[in-house]
Amino acid sequence: MANELQPVHRTPNPLQSKQWSDTFRRIAKYSVQRLVVLFITVVIGLYITVLIANQGGYVDQIRKAQIRESVGQMMAVNPEVQRLTQSQIIDIQQREIALEEERLGLHLPFALRSVMYLQQAITLNLGNAEYMTSDSGSRRVRNIILERLAPTLVLFLTANLILFGSAILIALFLSRRYGSFLDRAVVALTPTSAAPSWFYGMFLILLFSALWRMMPFGGMVAAPPPSGIHYYFSVAKHLVLPIAAIFLGAIFQSVYSWRTFFLIYSSEDYVEMAKAKGMTSSMIERRYVLKPTLPTIITSFALTLIYAWQGQIILETVFNWPGLGRLLYQAIGFNDIPIVVGSTVIFAYLLAITVFLLDIIYALVDPRVKVGNGGARA
Amino acid sequence: MLKSKTLLVFLAVVLVVAVPLTSFAQERMGAWVDDVVLVQESDPSTVIMKLLAGEIDSHATSMADPAAWEQIQQSPILDYSIVYGGSRELTFNPVGPVFPTTDKLNPFNVPRIREAMNWMIDRQYIVDEIMNGFAIPGVVPVPANHIDYSRHASVIRELELEYAYNPEQGSAVVQEEMVKLGATLVNGKWHYNNEPVVLIGVIRNDDERLEMGDYFSNILEDLGFTVDRQYKNMSEANPIWIFGDPADGAWHFYTGGWGSSVINRDSSVRPEQMYTTRLMSFSPLWLAYTPDPRLDELAQRLYNNDYQDMAERAQLWEELLPLTLQDSVRIWVTDSLEYIPRRTEMQVVSDLAAGIGGSQLWPYTLRRIGEVGGSVTLGLQQLLDGPWNPVGGSNSVYDQAAIRGTADRGIMYDPYTGLVHPQRIERAELYATKGLPISKSHDWITLEFVDSINVPGDAWAEWDAAEQRFITVAEKYPEGVTSWTKSVVYYPEELFETTWHDGSQFSIADILLFMILGSFDRAQEASSIYDASAISAYNSLMSYFKGVRIVSENPLVIETYVDSYALDAELAVNSWYPVGNLGTGPWHTLGLGIRAEAAKEVAFSRAKATEIDSEYLGMAYGPTVSILAKHLGEAAATGFIPYEKFLSQYISAEEIASRWSNLQAWYGSKGHFWVASGPLYLERAYPVEKQIHLRRYENYIDPAAKWDRFGVPMFAEAEIEGSTRVSIGAAAEYDVVITFNDQPYLVSDMDVVRYLVISSTGEIVVGGEATPEEDGLWTITLSADDTSKLNVGASTIEVIVTPKAIAIPTFVSMQVIATR
Repeated sequence: MANELQPVHRTPNPLQSKQWSDTFRRIAKYSVQRLVVLFITVVIGLYITVLIANQGGYVDQIRKAQIRESVGQMMAVNPEVQRLTQSQIIDIQQREIALEEERLGLHLPFALRSVMYLQQAITLNLGNAEYMTSDSGSRRVRNIILERLAPTLVLFLTANLILFGSAILIALFLSRRYGSFLDRAVVALTPTSAAPSWFYGMFLILLFSALWRMMPFGGMVAAPPPSGIHYYFSVAKHLVLPIAAIFLGAIFQSVYSWRTFFLIYSSEDYVEMAKAKGMTSSMIERRYVLKPTLPTIITSFALTLIYAWQGQIILETVFNWPGLGRLLYQAIGFNDIPIVVGSTVIFAYLLAITVFLLDIIYALVDPRVKVGNGGARA
Repeated sequence: MLKSKTLLVFLAVVLVVAVPLTSFAQERMGAWVDDVVLVQESDPSTVIMKLLAGEIDSHATSMADPAAWEQIQQSPILDYSIVYGGSRELTFNPVGPVFPTTDKLNPFNVPRIREAMNWMIDRQYIVDEIMNGFAIPGVVPVPANHIDYSRHASVIRELELEYAYNPEQGSAVVQEEMVKLGATLVNGKWHYNNEPVVLIGVIRNDDERLEMGDYFSNILEDLGFTVDRQYKNMSEANPIWIFGDPADGAWHFYTGGWGSSVINRDSSVRPEQMYTTRLMSFSPLWLAYTPDPRLDELAQRLYNNDYQDMAERAQLWEELLPLTLQDSVRIWVTDSLEYIPRRTEMQVVSDLAAGIGGSQLWPYTLRRIGEVGGSVTLGLQQLLDGPWNPVGGSNSVYDQAAIRGTADRGIMYDPYTGLVHPQRIERAELYATKGLPISKSHDWITLEFVDSINVPGDAWAEWDAAEQRFITVAEKYPEGVTSWTKSVVYYPEELFETTWHDGSQFSIADILLFMILGSFDRAQEASSIYDASAISAYNSLMSYFKGVRIVSENPLVIETYVDSYALDAELAVNSWYPVGNLGTGPWHTLGLGIRAEAAKEVAFSRAKATEIDSEYLGMAYGPTVSILAKHLGEAAATGFIPYEKFLSQYISAEEIASRWSNLQAWYGSKGHFWVASGPLYLERAYPVEKQIHLRRYENYIDPAAKWDRFGVPMFAEAEIEGSTRVSIGAAAEYDVVITFNDQPYLVSDMDVVRYLVISSTGEIVVGGEATPEEDGLWTITLSADDTSKLNVGASTIEVIVTPKAIAIPTFVSMQVIATR
């Protein structure tokens, strides 16, 4: 009987319960504060974008001048105008100018419109573009951006993931072989990353497309686009050179910086201690090198993901790739403010969310980090 | 023996049967090629690489990149077409002589100083060193590819000589006028009110005008001015020069440029637009112009066609042109040239002003030489810039290049002369009131001058959108009305045998709907698709439109009465074929657009789309295609006819059923609503990939060879033959040998061969027309009187060859030594 097993009833530990409650309150409070701060930052950033994109209202003058020039051209090339009286001509000019100015909202003061732009941006009501349309002809800024998002992500996400993964693995490998021939070769090749990826792109096109005719010159797919599964094969083929260009343009610098970073951690006292204890190098790498560097790796990875969505203007131009970089460039050229603001607002929100999530993830992966006041800080 | 006889008989039978069959099989209809793929490629060097690699067969947009040009020259597998582009000029701020807001001196207020700038700039240097040879010097406001240049070649050439590079003369004028203005030259720098005279140049930095602006700035600095060079792109420059008040003194000169995408047969707009206040009156700069009253009057008279005949018109031009140079609110510098590269095995018509993409004939003539069928890839600088709809859709030149591939038309623009030829129409008549300076060049049109033209009472004068009917002339003008011209177009009976790409038979309703929708309905508030942005064009039309009458429905004959005309009778014809500047479409696809816009789900125009917050209608691709698809189901179910009250008179129940059924099948197969009637149809547009796939329309009724005669522009090659010495006071004769592709140029293909004799002092002493002797040979006869006007020394005989078949004249000159 004495040995009879009794169910164990754990009595709640009031101290532990209070700790959980405190932790939850602290995290909630921190989260709210952090979100508010991030939101204010986003709002300020967006309003600055609105002001810059409009050149403080000067874009209105540019547009008014453009409207007048195009109306003038329209009148000049229209032989029907030749039969009109001077007052009829002026009447048509004034009407066309007024209609276009009203369409673009230029009859409203800029200060008011800047607030309207901001309000639309904050509420993610991206509205309609003023001049441009999406590739498929939609005026909605949302459609314009979304349409270019897929090709952008396909290219830049793929390239950046390959680049990121390769750089980390090669860097880890080299950090274990500090001073080896390979290590020295990578260090020697690092300055090649000074050249931008589009520069490598041009070389690759010259070699693989123009000279050896092995790869397409650019574009997203063969002409005319094949159907079914062949379409995806064609896209994959067209991805090879731009991905290679992005990879070549950044790999050595990336490997070099990660390698240096890992080397610093590899020379810490606790790593030396682990080595002295006879731990295997892979165990040391996993426990004492990778683990403390994880927040940095995750931050870099997260930022890689969100920066990928911005595209690259020149690389896209060199490879004739329908990406967001070129879209934004065209929008700036056209002074199409809703697209510029729309593109920025999505990036701003993505960045803010990423920063917020990173704060949480840091606390999860690194015991030294604690969110909110009262915790130890790394 | 028997066997061989049998064999011979068999072979004979085979030949008899097979030869006609073969020739029948060779009668290719529609386009020469089976597939055309348009791809986007904007970078000139990549274009060349792709051409060399065979990835594209021809480019369709013009380029001016010197490095790419070099590659074309060096490659045996690349060829090119030349395109005459826009003009470059220097615009001056005419306010002053002192700016009221800044009290600074503006020397360009003085016409003589502006005029002197013509002597200061070396246009040939700009052509050779800045434009890399892709331009020709331009002195007058009429570019060399305008017909008016040929018409007034003598006076223009005289002005070109008078205003040729002469820095000493220009500098002397500037010196004289600056002193008159009260400026002083201190240490080589002009000063006014003890301050250096600073000239602000707004220099465009987005093309070769950057170097041109720097070149001009250097000249001004050499003259003693201090130049503030402000480099700006179009967006930055426009608010300053076109929108800003020139009295603010924010600029003194601007490097201007003007485009031209058609072969202009009447340049009268140029003086009116460039030197008077009227046509650009919305701009403070133009309002500051104070042209000489005679220049102002001449410009207006030319613009308003206020002259009795071409001889009077020529007089007006010849008086006006020197005045434009004396005024010189802008001085003309160069007329640009560009090129379109292609592989040598490719043949395609390229418009002299608009290139391949801008030519209406490209889909009819594109082919690999000697090959029938196959696929051709064309590159374009941009593609799919905006939604396609023929009423208010994308007017991008790149989109229009593709749209032209799908469209048929009533009349076809000549890519080399700017005249037109019948395409779907058979012939035309033009009646004009006596005194109008109209002439004709082609035989498919007759021209008759009459005392007056009464518009018949049953002609349609105006559309009533509320009642959905045409208001007749009798209703609108109870007292009767006359018009300046009446054009009558005759369609062949085969018109109604042609089909739209979805298989629907062409009908008169297609013409009527396009007429109502394109010209009348949308500008009226009572319309269900009222669009304020259509009012201006409508008002403009109604200012000269008097009436239209369907004389016969089959064969179709249409009379049009208007108070307007063109100098060429051919250009005064209105065919009413359902195609406009933005595309084409049958009544049923356009009817879907009308339904969708009436439901406020889409809008034909961008302005209306903004107003009702809808999508902008695209019929070829994009989000509005599904909206149209929804309406297709409803329209097919209810037998919908747009403007039913009116059009139901012209559309049978069978036509309604077949149209909607054809369109449903088309949409099911192609997934879009771009239904046209040209030699190529839209297989599919790939908006993100920036590609367009066009395919040959097999039921097109014209033979592929119909427009082959336009394969190569007939540029004349000329040579002057004769003695290089001429005795003053003795008669002399020179032969002008004119060829095309080493064959004699036909006299019947030649408009005129003019000659000028320029003495050693640079003066034109004799001018006239050469006499045709035989095909390829013209003679210049200089009488003893003519040669007696020469001075001893080197004189020049200049010949201007103006063919009928091409708008670009050929210039050739020969130096002769005049001796006593």
